[in-house]
Amino acid sequence: MTSEPIIGLEKATKTYGGIAALSAADFTLYPGEIHALVGENGAGKSTLCKLIAGVVAPSEGRLRIDGEVVGLATPKDATRRGISMVYQETSLVPQLTVAQNMVLGRERPFNSVRKVRNAARQVLQRLNFKVDPSQLAGSLSTAKRQMVEIARAVLNEARVIILDEPTAALTPEETDHLFDLMKTLQRNGVAMIFISHALEEALTHADRISVLRNGRLMVTGPAVDFDRERLIHHMIGEELLETERPAAARPRTAAALPVLQVENVRMGAMVNNMSFSVFPGEITGIAGLIGSGRSEVAKVILGHTKRNFGGGRIWLDGREVRYNLPAQAVRDGIAYVSEDRKLDGFFETMSARENIGLGWLAKFGRGRILAPLRRMRRLAGQWEDRLSIRSIGADQSVLYLSGGNQQKVVIAKSLVQEPRLVIFDEPTRGVDVGAIAEIRQIVRDFAAGGAGVILISSYLPEILDLSDRVLVAKSGTIVADFPREEATAAKILHAAIH
Amino acid sequence: MAIGFATKDRGGRRRNLLELVVMAVTAALFVLFAIGIEGFATPGNLGVVLSNSASLVILSCGMAVVIVSRGLELALIAEMVAGATTFSILINAGVGGPEALLLAVGAMALVGCANAWLIAYVEIPAMLATLASAMFVTGLVRYAVLGGEFLLLLPKSNPAVVLLSGDILPGVPAPVALMVAALVATGFLLRYSAAGRTIYAMGDNFQAARLGGLPVRTTTIVVYVFAALMALFAGLVTAAASGTVDFRTVTNGSLLFEVILVVVLGGIPLRGGRGGVRNIIVGVALIAVLRNGMTLMNVTTQMQDVIKGFVLIIAIVLDNYLNPRDTETDTAGDL
Repeated sequence: MTSEPIIGLEKATKTYGGIAALSAADFTLYPGEIHALVGENGAGKSTLCKLIAGVVAPSEGRLRIDGEVVGLATPKDATRRGISMVYQETSLVPQLTVAQNMVLGRERPFNSVRKVRNAARQVLQRLNFKVDPSQLAGSLSTAKRQMVEIARAVLNEARVIILDEPTAALTPEETDHLFDLMKTLQRNGVAMIFISHALEEALTHADRISVLRNGRLMVTGPAVDFDRERLIHHMIGEELLETERPAAARPRTAAALPVLQVENVRMGAMVNNMSFSVFPGEITGIAGLIGSGRSEVAKVILGHTKRNFGGGRIWLDGREVRYNLPAQAVRDGIAYVSEDRKLDGFFETMSARENIGLGWLAKFGRGRILAPLRRMRRLAGQWEDRLSIRSIGADQSVLYLSGGNQQKVVIAKSLVQEPRLVIFDEPTRGVDVGAIAEIRQIVRDFAAGGAGVILISSYLPEILDLSDRVLVAKSGTIVADFPREEATAAKILHAAIH
Repeated sequence: MAIGFATKDRGGRRRNLLELVVMAVTAALFVLFAIGIEGFATPGNLGVVLSNSASLVILSCGMAVVIVSRGLELALIAEMVAGATTFSILINAGVGGPEALLLAVGAMALVGCANAWLIAYVEIPAMLATLASAMFVTGLVRYAVLGGEFLLLLPKSNPAVVLLSGDILPGVPAPVALMVAALVATGFLLRYSAAGRTIYAMGDNFQAARLGGLPVRTTTIVVYVFAALMALFAGLVTAAASGTVDFRTVTNGSLLFEVILVVVLGGIPLRGGRGGVRNIIVGVALIAVLRNGMTLMNVTTQMQDVIKGFVLIIAIVLDNYLNPRDTETDTAGDL
């Protein structure tokens, strides 16, 4: 790295509503460099990237591109200067073709379909990436969409490409392909920043690594100087190293009857003859790949989606149930903690307390004309303390809480209903390390109280850490059932893939 | 990280800037009219402004509740006219006032239930369901009751009509009293009732409300029945004041848009989940002052519509400027 840096952030600070998402960060990027950003959620990685990509402007500090101080007003300015960002949730327009997406925002008043397609095809071929440019973007898999975004960046002659958690939704082969692609681009002098939660990726594929914690850039250095331990050390500081794996499974009482029995449930193309049972006091983990029908079966149990006609039977405490609306399931004591809290978990205009209060109202508000506002607030306050939810002000919208606190609000909203059975769908997704440990403890404590717990998680260590029994789902069917002692990562993966 | 820009006050709730701007504009117009137009700032004229706004306020209460729940009620004016017709026919036929009112309430509750059933159970988008029900109700009433006429006359001497158009207390006309009652009822429903909590939850995030076990279907019924009843009361006020029930209010459509205008200008976004009684008052205040001032200045109805349309556009542009959208804060159906 003898050349001048292409990007330089000097003492860059970005505050949102008085809270610094990034404070006084100094960051440099050289041409042809692959730079990994690691850190917990909320550490400021995304903010740093957005500053560079012109999505947000720094509150303080300066951004230099090619040594020149610039103020990027919009992402378009950044694109013009050769900086492109590839988002976690891909930003392709599903109704347009791959080629149209690649020229999106740079169209001329009239476009020749053939010219656009040829230009797109050239780039795609150069990247050794097999996609038909006339295919609709909506029909592509996540991995391919991401690649199309990268190809778009290349077509835009990007010199800097920022990838926000590019491997989060990819299979191992797709991940390899992505890093091959990045190496190819690197040889052409393109600099890349990628955010990753998989530390091995950063260690293996990056030239340099920067670690962020609580909005501060803790350390930057060549990847060879780091190892896993050192990265974790920088990421979470001294105090919070992961709690060790608890003892073996709690013994099931011999005569225990299942809380929930699911038999041959079918729903559309996603759930295909799913059968399993959940026992009280146990955590039943359901592992599997994304799209294996786990969340879908949860929503069928809850009555949120309808199963097929004649599509199986479900018993709760030995009584056959069929719900038309989650409200009925909630009254019977089933609660679901959504996998995407922003999409269908919490109410963003409301405070943590109001959210939790509504959970109570859903279960116990039946037949009430008046909402017992004071009681709801008091109960919610108790749950806030119990799950140590930290909000800055009592009236503050949940939107301003950290991911971990938001997740705890969503969990409290369900637990305040005193349910018989809780389905936790990816309970620690997008949650910082400290909160992960707390949330897992909440799940454990709740099961220890004698209720049934279903844990849906795509993160194997979590399944292994928490589950008393591990089920593996694959294409809408349960294909394996391991007691805790026998469950290993290798066995689960094998069952989930083959 | 889901954090936007100027839309929020520091670390707290979103502050509704549009509401503040509309209040300021109303105040400015008021001062301007008071200085510029003779007879505007007299107690008599202001009393007229208040009385004339009564039916608009009552209608807006119904619409506001629907919009906060992220619905839309396009049958509001049809219900208003149908309700007034039902009531008028009954008192014309010699039925006593209270009985006629009860029957009309029952009929409108039924229409509200039908709307809610289409929306919550059949799961038809609110816009389509209420559009269809507006046509159905208007057509049915005109066909079955009026025999194709569009005007129904009320006997001015009927005690029910006298009561609704006169003073209920000395100095308090019945329309104003009904207006206040509607505002109080709306405030109570939204703020203190169990249904109200669910209404905000549905408007904020319908999927979360449904998945979280809130009674979204029953609440939808509450919402649309409430709207239909508000429409009925607005219809009674208008009918009693003018002595007629005029079906052209449905067909020319401008009243429906005026109601939506009031709600949106007052700062209740169409995406739902936000706003309350104060926003209704703010919205109506602007429209009422504007309407009265323009009438006193002899501006034609057509020109008034031009100006109102212009005001709405300004409000939307201003709202976009004050609450800039980006990929993170953008929501489908956002105004």
